[in-house]
Amino acid sequence: MSYLIASSLDEVLTSLRDGSGKARVVAGGTDLYLQDLPYGLVDLSCLKGTTVIEQEDDLISLGSAVTHTAAASSPLVLSRARALAEGCEVIGSPQIRNIGTIGGNVVNAAPAADAAVALVGLGAEAVIIDIEGNIRQEAVENLYWEYNRSLIDSTREVMISLQFKPCMDGEGSAFTRFAARRALALPMVNAAARVKLENGLVKEIRLVAAPVNPAPTRLVKTEELVIGKPVNDQTISMVERSAAEEVEVRGSLLRCSARYRLHLVGVLVSRALKTAAERAMGQGKAGE
Amino acid sequence: MNNLKKQVLIFQLNGEPVEIFADPAESLLTVLREKLGLYGTKAGCGKGECGACTVLLDDRAVNSCLVPAGKVQGRKVETIENLSQGGKVHMIQEEFVEKGAVQCGFCSPGMVMSAYALLKENPQPNPEQVKVAISGNLCRCSGYKQIEEAILSAAERLKN
Ligand SMILES: Cc1cc2nc3c(=O)[nH]c(=O)nc-3n(C[C@H](O)[C@H](O)[C@H](O)COP(=O)(O)OP(=O)(O)OC[C@H]3O[C@@H](n4cnc5c(N)ncnc54)[C@H](O)[C@@H]3O)c2cc1C
Ligand code: FES
Ligand code: FES
Repeated sequence: MSYLIASSLDEVLTSLRDGSGKARVVAGGTDLYLQDLPYGLVDLSCLKGTTVIEQEDDLISLGSAVTHTAAASSPLVLSRARALAEGCEVIGSPQIRNIGTIGGNVVNAAPAADAAVALVGLGAEAVIIDIEGNIRQEAVENLYWEYNRSLIDSTREVMISLQFKPCMDGEGSAFTRFAARRALALPMVNAAARVKLENGLVKEIRLVAAPVNPAPTRLVKTEELVIGKPVNDQTISMVERSAAEEVEVRGSLLRCSARYRLHLVGVLVSRALKTAAERAMGQGKAGE
Repeated sequence: MNNLKKQVLIFQLNGEPVEIFADPAESLLTVLREKLGLYGTKAGCGKGECGACTVLLDDRAVNSCLVPAGKVQGRKVETIENLSQGGKVHMIQEEFVEKGAVQCGFCSPGMVMSAYALLKENPQPNPEQVKVAISGNLCRCSGYKQIEEAILSAAERLKN
């Protein structure tokens, strides 16, 4: 195998082109290294362009190779996209977060990957370039082919960045998860919410839960029920019921039964909404 | 893409430049132990779950079993061997001994490296931050309490 630490995006694209399907992009390697390694690896984790976190106009943009540690501690992410900070800070362990990346989390396509769920909750889009130089932009939830398989072909396509609108006044986001342990445990269920309030009533909302389908899944029926309502105890109970009714889940011998998972979907989605709404109303810490 | 299986890798190891000829797909853990004879870093699960293989890559704790050797090209690696200087062990290690934080000792190099990475970044951590810092390191013997105490008392010594 050959391993190249790329020093520019051009070099990444050229190497993939030369590899003709046998070379693959790697970022942190925490998922890829445990699988069969391809003939060539092109490492993009040292590129300036893929490791920046910035706000341009009204979009926050994070490079695809931003590590979970970097995302979880970024002041911009903490204040304007709290769900992502919360999703990243619970992944694996410090050692995994120090090297694993948000782009890798999405392209690895695990159904309940924590950063990916938070990103879908925030409404993130991925910017992708292929070896011919064509650039496209795609909502994160549309990047899944099947369980554990991304539509991004990492032998010829590179995710450059992830972009979404920051949570401004009257908006808040939150991420919730439940796992057997507080570290090094994949979630039984995770959820994310983003909400915009106007005069105390829900104007816009995104509710996401996983693992429900191959991709983190928006609960559109429940979202519709909440539009125009205040986020009070009654609404929260309604969301808990409706979220669990809206989805079908599978049980897993390793993690939990389908019935328990369904219960968790209701609880975690409604909790995420409650916290997001509190943040939107400025009841959490300043700026959340 | 060339056809060679092995390539020259140059990186900084424990403050010194090293140059090796290795398969970049090999793990940094294997390179450290089998090529460079540094046996302080322990091989446990081999899949990122136990932390026994923890080293610092550019000052951050990582699982060396998950890092392909090719990734360290041009970067800075620090292992447990670098902590004792001039025949004297590091004060984090002294505190581990002092507080009875070492039983069989298999997890200790990894634990100490996680503690070392924490104190490098945050010399005055609170107990919760200490717990998070070692949450990627499993210990089958100690029950963690003494390890947390050892790290907090190392931080206390840093203050003075
Ligand atoms: C012990 C352990 C615990 C873990 N715990 C969790 C957890 O709690 N929650 C969780 O969500 N995940 C967890 N993971 C999974 C993993 O760490 C994350 O998914 C991580 O974010 C993957 O990122 P990476 O940079 O390491 O990906 P890599 O391994 O580098 O890449 C993953 C895949 O994405 C492709 N790829 C990466 N970057 C790009 C790009 N920019 N463009 C195109 N393709 C790309 C690669 O070719 C590969 O197919 C855990 C893993 C381990 C080993
Ligand atoms: S040997 Fe690397 S984490 Fe267990
Ligand atoms: S002292 Fe034995 S594993 Fe920790």
